[in-house]
Amino acid sequence: MSDEALLSVRGLRTTFRRDGAEPLTAVDGVSFDVRRGQALAIVGESGSGKSVTMRSVMGILPRTARITDGQAMFGGRDLLAIGDKELRKVRGRDIAMVFQSAMEAMNPTLTLERQLTEHLLWHGICNKAEARKRAVRALGDVGIPDPEKRIRTYPFQLSGGMRQRAMIAMAMVTEPALLIADEPTTAVDVTVQRQILDLLAELKNRGTGVIMITHDLGVARYFCDDAVVMYAGRVVERAPMDRLLDDPRHPYSVGLLGSGVEVGGRELPLRPIPGSPPDLSHRPDGCPFHPRCARAELPRCGTEQETLTIGPGRDAACWKVAVDA
Amino acid sequence: MPDKLVHAESVTKVFRTRAGEVRAVDDVSLTVHRGETLGLVGESGSGKSTMARLMMGLQTPTSGRVEFDGQDLSKLPARELRLLRPRMQMVFQNPYGSLLPHFSAIGNVMEPLRLHERGDKESRRTKALELLDLVGINTGHAELYPRQFSGGQQQRIAIARALALEPDLLVCDEPTSSLDVSIQAQILELFTDLRDRLGLSFLFISHNLAVVERLADRVAVMNKGRVVEEGSTEDLFRAPQDDYTRQLLSAVLPIRQAPGL
Repeated sequence: MSDEALLSVRGLRTTFRRDGAEPLTAVDGVSFDVRRGQALAIVGESGSGKSVTMRSVMGILPRTARITDGQAMFGGRDLLAIGDKELRKVRGRDIAMVFQSAMEAMNPTLTLERQLTEHLLWHGICNKAEARKRAVRALGDVGIPDPEKRIRTYPFQLSGGMRQRAMIAMAMVTEPALLIADEPTTAVDVTVQRQILDLLAELKNRGTGVIMITHDLGVARYFCDDAVVMYAGRVVERAPMDRLLDDPRHPYSVGLLGSGVEVGGRELPLRPIPGSPPDLSHRPDGCPFHPRCARAELPRCGTEQETLTIGPGRDAACWKVAVDA
Repeated sequence: MPDKLVHAESVTKVFRTRAGEVRAVDDVSLTVHRGETLGLVGESGSGKSTMARLMMGLQTPTSGRVEFDGQDLSKLPARELRLLRPRMQMVFQNPYGSLLPHFSAIGNVMEPLRLHERGDKESRRTKALELLDLVGINTGHAELYPRQFSGGQQQRIAIARALALEPDLLVCDEPTSSLDVSIQAQILELFTDLRDRLGLSFLFISHNLAVVERLADRVAVMNKGRVVEEGSTEDLFRAPQDDYTRQLLSAVLPIRQAPGL
């Protein structure tokens, strides 16, 4: 798998500096691969480290954060080592991002034209006239009616769904090799959700690799090919998307599926995971999930666990996990 | 037919904005019967939150009327409306925004009791501790402040506060939408438990169809200020009649291969 990987992250570790205390480890040895034309879901709850992981790769962490270990190979170069100046040449051209809220991600004082042509001009990809042409085309591609006219409007003049489309157009305009989408449909209505996902799917079909950060397992199933499940800064399970949802193995993945409600599942028993995720400043020893895990067995689960291969294309970090025969 | 606890009769609410008149709620009639959970679903801007505020008497309808236990809310003098208030309480989407940040958990739960002059300080404390225990907050943490709790725990405290005055009706506006799935499941269990134990009536508003399907006895679907369909949860989810309801249901992306099996 790794020889055809577009982005290959290995052993990423990101810490946050704190006043008068030990640094906080938000991402703790995370590894994954993204392939061309494939989508990887990073699934996990708030505080699991999914966004910090992606921000580390993109080099857009807050100043209190530090990457202390790991590499992120993209196009033969380690994004974590090339430095900010080189990273800027990659960001917005080869790797683009789509965020949860277009209202916050876009500049409210600039027209769509300025925002859509910015990357093309900054990276010197084309001249202004050509950039405008490409921007109009991108707006049309994402289903914004009358793009020639709309390109002169400001973000606030668009509806929520249209704004989300405009942000996707902004990410698409440079034809990036990798797109990172952080909860791209969380803020839109369900009837718009699928349209947005179908737009992103077109990108995927053109060969763009996508990393989708999401807590919505339905969205993940619809759009993604593979998944990693994160908990307390670690990857606890990695599997092909359908396999994860139909046959989760790590006790946390099982719990996540048991907590999810879905239409038609009224009679299914709800099995919430007891307790709440650990405070990262008091991370439990060994498996971070063991204090909430019904299957935990001490002292073994309180010691470090190597990631175990449990089947084709899937592994889990758990002593008790069932392994395919 | 069980009796009506709160009933809206062809209510319309028009807001005047710079962009002109907005008909947020347009000729809607809804009833929550005693002991029943009515689910109200719809997308953003459909008018469901405005409907909630109208049914709570927090806003007066432009036309039509809302009756709580047979009394027309817009005709009641302020004093009498104030006496009715404890019987209907609300739980909001963002628990941190709805709690008083400078009051401890127990202080938040005691506050409605103090405002409505229930008991003395000692009995209010005892009652608040019972409520925190009921919603699953470790009473040893009663003196901590809202920010020291997780989002799910904050929502539990907000629910305890809403229960303090022993309401008949709990209006919940997207109460689990800001919570993680595993925490959402815990809060859904809490609501089910409270309904069974206290015989509460609920108006439960959510854009999440799965959550509503799980909790509601009946469901009303709103679109552009109107109720387009209303029916028992089972019928509505199994055989939706309205085009918009069908569109909403078909937009849901399944998680499991075959839900319900």
